Amino acid sequence: MIRVSNLSKSYNYPNMVLKDISFWVKQGEFVYLSGPSGAGKTTLFRLLFADLKPDAGQIVIDGLDLARASANRVALLRRQLGFIFQDYKLIPNYTVFDNIALALEISGTPRRFIQKKVWRVLKIVGIERQIERLPPQLSGGEQQRVAIARALVNDPKIIFADEPTGNLDAEIANEIMQILHSINARGTTIVMVTHNRALLQKFKRKVFYLNRGSLQAYDWLN
Amino acid sequence: MPRIYDHVYPFFKLTANNIRRHPIINLISIMIISIAMLMLALYFLAYINTDRVVSTWRSDLKVAVYLEDDLSPESVARLKDFCLDLNEVVHLDYISKNEALSRFKVTLGKDSGFLDDLPENPLPASLELLLDAEVADISAVELLARQLQRQSGVDEVVYGSYWLRQLFSLLKMVRYFGFIFASFLSAVTVFVVASTIRLSLFARRETIRVLYLVGATRRFIVMPYLFEGIFQGAVASTIALLLSYIGFSYFKLWLQEQVPQWSIAPMLEFFNIYSFLTFLLLGTLLGVAGFLISSHWLSRD
Repeated sequence: MIRVSNLSKSYNYPNMVLKDISFWVKQGEFVYLSGPSGAGKTTLFRLLFADLKPDAGQIVIDGLDLARASANRVALLRRQLGFIFQDYKLIPNYTVFDNIALALEISGTPRRFIQKKVWRVLKIVGIERQIERLPPQLSGGEQQRVAIARALVNDPKIIFADEPTGNLDAEIANEIMQILHSINARGTTIVMVTHNRALLQKFKRKVFYLNRGSLQAYDWLN
Repeated sequence: MPRIYDHVYPFFKLTANNIRRHPIINLISIMIISIAMLMLALYFLAYINTDRVVSTWRSDLKVAVYLEDDLSPESVARLKDFCLDLNEVVHLDYISKNEALSRFKVTLGKDSGFLDDLPENPLPASLELLLDAEVADISAVELLARQLQRQSGVDEVVYGSYWLRQLFSLLKMVRYFGFIFASFLSAVTVFVVASTIRLSLFARRETIRVLYLVGATRRFIVMPYLFEGIFQGAVASTIALLLSYIGFSYFKLWLQEQVPQWSIAPMLEFFNIYSFLTFLLLGTLLGVAGFLISSHWLSRD
C-alpha cells in the first residue's frame, strides 16, 4: 500500500533532514511514526502526502509514484486518503457540515448523497449535534472529531494523522485514539505521527522510530 | 453518476462564500471598479453624442449672407438667383429685417423688452443658405463664402466654418486621447480586480491549503475567483451604467433648460441596447482579466 525507498530530503544541503529512509506499510496496518522533536517526522509526513518533493528516493502509494505524478494525479490520490492534523485544519467560517461536505464536493459526489454520508461519519465520531456549529465554537476534542469525520467521509484507503492528540488532554486523546483504532479495525490503513510514548504504550502497534533523519528502530511494542 | 450540477455547484458555493465572508474587500473593489467604469461610460457617452451632434450640424450646414441696408428688391432678387445657381446650395430663405427682429425677440424671450425701445431695427436682412452636406465640405464652404462676399450688396457672410473646424479637430483629439484614457482606466480596473482577488487569496491562504489537502485540483481552487472577478466586473459596470444614466438625464435636462436655443438636448441619446450590453460585457471581461493576473499570482505563491 505504501512503499518508501531510499528517501532523502534536505532543506539546506548538506544538512539532511531525512537520510536514506526505507519502509513499507501493508494494507490495513496501523503504524506509528515516532521520534523526538526535530527527528524529521513532520517532513516525512509531508512527503507522504506529496506536500514536499524528495531529493532522492521514491514514495509509492497505492501504485502511484508521488515524485513523478502530475499535480492532478496527486489531487485525485488525496481524495482517496484522509488527513488529520494537530491543528485540525478546519475552515473556521464553514459549519461542521460544510467542512465535512467539502471533501465530498471536491470529489464530485452527487448532492443527494452528501447529507447522508456526512451524517454517517458524524455518528461514528459522535458529534452529530454540532452539525451547524462553526469550528471556533467547538472544543479542541470536538474539532479533532470533525477533522476525523472529514478524513473518513470519502471512505479513504489510508488515513494520515499528524499528532492528532497533540493539543488534547489525556482523556480526550484516549477517545480520539479509540476512534482511530475502530476505523482501522474496519480495514483502513492508518499512519500516525506521534511523539507521545504513553500513547504508544497504551495502543500498541508497529512503530517506525526516527532519530536525526534516520530510521533507527523498527519495533513491535505489542 | 455525478451530474454537471454536482461539479459546478461547489464553485458557486465557494464563490458565494468568498463574497459573503469578505464583504468589505468586495465592496471596496466594486466601488473602485464602478468609478473607473463610470468614467469610461461618461467618456463613451460624451464621444458618441459629440459625434452625433457634429454629424447633425454638418448635415445642416448653413451660410448666412447679411445684406446691406436699403438694398433694392431687384438687387435682392439678383442675389437670390446667384445663390440658387450655386451647386452647393439646396435651399434659400430670405429673412427680412423685421423677421430677423421677430426671431431675435423669440430667442431672447422675456428679456426682449429692450428691443421695443430701440429707435430703429438694427438687424440686417439676410439670405439663409442651406448647403448640400455631400458636396460642401468645410473648404468648399470657405470658398463659397469668399465668392459671396465679393457680390455687391453683401455686407457680411457668416458660415461658422471656423468653430466647425475647431469642433472636428476637438473630436479627433477626444478620439485620440480618449483611447489612451480608456486604456488607462481599463488597466486600472484590471489591476483593482487582480489586487482584490490577491487580497482575498491571502486572507484565505489557510482555506486554500485545506482545499489542496482534501484533494482539490488547481482548477477547483481558482474557478471561484474567476466567478468572483466576473461578479465584480458585472456588478460594477451595472452600477456605472445606472449612475451614468442618472447623470446623463440630469445633464440633458439642464441643457434643455439653460440653452434651449441650441437644440442640442433632443439630439443626445443614452447607450442603445447593443452599446449597453457591450459595456456590461466589457466590465465582465475586465473582471476576467483581473482574475487571470491573480491566477498567475496563485500559481507563483
